[in-house]
Amino acid sequence: MVFSSVFFLFQYLPLALLCYYLAPLRWRNVVLLALNLVFYGWGEPVYILIMFASTAIDYTHGMLVDRCKRRDNDRGARLAVCSSVFFNLALLFFFKYWDFIAGSLASAGLHFMPKLGLSLPIGISFYTFQTMSYTIDVYRGDAKVQRSILNFGTFVTLFPQLIAGPIIKYKDLGDQIDHRDHTAQRFASGVQIFVVGLAKKVLLANNLGMLWDAYKAVPTGQLTTAGAWLGILAFSFQLYFDFSGYSDMAVGLGRMLGFEFGKNFDYPYISRSLTEFWRRWHISLGSWFREYLYIPLGGNRVGKARLLFNLMVVWAATGIWHGASWNFLLWGLYYGVLLVLEKFFLNRWMERWPGFLRHVYALFFIALGWALFAVEDFSHLGPYLSAMFGFAEGGFTNGAFFYYLRSYFPMLLIAALASTPLGKGLWNKLGEKPRMVLLPALLLAALLVCTSYLVDATYNPFLYFRF
Amino acid sequence: MSKKYSVFLTVLFCGFLGLMVTANALTPDRDFSEVENRALAQRPALSWKAVRSGEFMSNYETYTTDQFAGRDGWTAAKAYMEKAVGKQENNGVYFCDDSTLISRFEEPDQKRLENNIKYVSQFAEKAGVPVSFGLIPTQAYVWADRLPQGAPNYDQSQVYSAVTGALADKVTLADPLWTTLPAHKDQPIFYRTDHHWTSLGAYYGYAALGQALGYEPLPLETYTKTTVSTEFYGTVFSSSGVRWVKPDEMDIYVPEEGITVTSHTYDSKGNPVEEPRQLYDESYLAKKDKYSMFLGGQQSLGVVKTGNTDKPKLLLIRDSYSDSLVPFLTPHFSEIHLMDFRYCKLSPSQYIQDNGIDQALVLYSVPNFCSDANLLWIGR
Repeated sequence: MVFSSVFFLFQYLPLALLCYYLAPLRWRNVVLLALNLVFYGWGEPVYILIMFASTAIDYTHGMLVDRCKRRDNDRGARLAVCSSVFFNLALLFFFKYWDFIAGSLASAGLHFMPKLGLSLPIGISFYTFQTMSYTIDVYRGDAKVQRSILNFGTFVTLFPQLIAGPIIKYKDLGDQIDHRDHTAQRFASGVQIFVVGLAKKVLLANNLGMLWDAYKAVPTGQLTTAGAWLGILAFSFQLYFDFSGYSDMAVGLGRMLGFEFGKNFDYPYISRSLTEFWRRWHISLGSWFREYLYIPLGGNRVGKARLLFNLMVVWAATGIWHGASWNFLLWGLYYGVLLVLEKFFLNRWMERWPGFLRHVYALFFIALGWALFAVEDFSHLGPYLSAMFGFAEGGFTNGAFFYYLRSYFPMLLIAALASTPLGKGLWNKLGEKPRMVLLPALLLAALLVCTSYLVDATYNPFLYFRF
Repeated sequence: MSKKYSVFLTVLFCGFLGLMVTANALTPDRDFSEVENRALAQRPALSWKAVRSGEFMSNYETYTTDQFAGRDGWTAAKAYMEKAVGKQENNGVYFCDDSTLISRFEEPDQKRLENNIKYVSQFAEKAGVPVSFGLIPTQAYVWADRLPQGAPNYDQSQVYSAVTGALADKVTLADPLWTTLPAHKDQPIFYRTDHHWTSLGAYYGYAALGQALGYEPLPLETYTKTTVSTEFYGTVFSSSGVRWVKPDEMDIYVPEEGITVTSHTYDSKGNPVEEPRQLYDESYLAKKDKYSMFLGGQQSLGVVKTGNTDKPKLLLIRDSYSDSLVPFLTPHFSEIHLMDFRYCKLSPSQYIQDNGIDQALVLYSVPNFCSDANLLWIGR
């Protein structure tokens, strides 16, 4: 089930809110658990079993770690953490990477791994990371162990962030699972963030996604330089508004249910370096890798060679996390190299650049990165990149480029403005009174417009099923 | 945010959801959408198997969207908003000059096109009578100058070149279709809201086919034009979601006297059934699907008898463009047998023998010829 659908908005959500708020306070986690399972099972019912397995395994491991720790058995606790990490990675590996590795080996002539053809359980990359963080946090003493398996199940399956993040660490949510306030203020702020997210996804991402779809389908012989850039521009906006829209909806829904999730995006496209970009893009993933991979590897308190190694490991992992395909690994390593360059000398040099140039630099490499990310077929990637660098078989521009530019110019402009904090600044400049009058009108208008697009939507692809 | 204001926003949001839920609960399900011209999804049957495979859930989501209260209003609103933000197309239909809607012609599946050409040539070899072949260029080609500037659109003449190259020595090609129709592109030869040609367009088609079929076409002045509807919104209108274009006018030229039409079908037990039809079935003019007025719409096998018993018998293997063409052909043939292979699974060469057919014409519009998956049957 995706949030941006008629079914979610006008059947599941009203029913879920009704059940949740009609239930007495101490039953709410159980009701929420049931709602979560319906939400998850809606797409692929069999995979509810993975939810059960994941919950049972990590609950047990958490209890084990806690028991060992209280008996001062550090070795046992470490063993339990390792076992938990092993189970989670095995789950992820089996469902997400098995076929990729089998396919890669087969093309190298090795056929000992059969292809399984299993469909990817939705959100597996997100929830395996969340449950892994739980046992580690319990071991590190950053989180209290969860003694109620129902409460733990509610955390594992929490529907607002189950399928597309943000990746929430147990230590940030544990207390809220046990106790949270349901206030009108929190609900109302949740409504605002949810509607903003819905509009980002339905009105901006889906719309510009059509432009990218058009360019993705252009045969390499007809690709133009301007067209290739227009296509990547469209994809950059599509991905950002799709993903951040989803995160916003998750945060909003979380608040409606009394939870506070952290921010996942912070205007990434206004970055002036790639280092800054990764502080603003998919924040919950970056911080996860920092806390549970980069720092355990030694972080930056190591020699230069080891630091280089650590960074490349983290970026290779970040890349391949995005999908079981070589291009994602390439994309991760691309950032690894660029960020190493920035860290070692570019950053110091760039400090003297004018701000404008630094924006151009960051956006250029971000866009180039999206080309690696978006064009999965390597036989198509080469020609696409050459087209971007001026070696296009179709010349610099053609009629179709101008047609698409004309058709999408207003949307691109809106998307560009919406990628900056400009709107927010203007909103905050308005007085309290006008804001109070405008807000309900804008919310209703956005809901009505989104509804008309959703009712019309045969076009509503969801980009994150692969993650 | 004060508590009072927060409660207000909460009530506003929940009220909106509740209102929609209530509206959906109160609106009865519809079987068919006149505007979209298609059957709407119905509530799926609940079964353990369907739930386990997830089929129930995905059908249920389609059902919820299809049966959404006020669906036609919402989809129309979406089309208006697309136009407002500068889009020049919606759902694959271009907003063109002169209140015209034209479906984009996508690059055809080359494999299917090759196969369809092969089936035509197989039929020509087996037919035993002279076979002509006509490919009708449609709006996306003839009215290309009305498309938004630079709008991506595959060139239909490339399809025609492929066909000409492969079939030139096997059938008589009705080449003039590709000159006559473009020559009259300033006249209303196609509907602006439907994918078919108008009766006027069909007349020029008839004139262009004369050489291949061996008749001298009557001049246009012979006929008197009768306007039968000024309220026609066709299929392209339906798929576009657009609501701001003028309706089309429907005309007929040829009088119906002395012509009988019989549609041959089978009943549920497989026995042949003959159903009388008319050249113009005016009952369709009261419905959405007004083009079905010509010959009463889709039929697997139809036989048109004209009373000109001294004239030859024609087998016409065709798509729906021929429905409005047939009236013009009536003076030149004693019988016209129409086969539509979307429904008809007879062997046409056998049929030619059994019914004393003198000549055959395969006539398709370019989009239908490229996409039809049933032409396999004509080579049998």
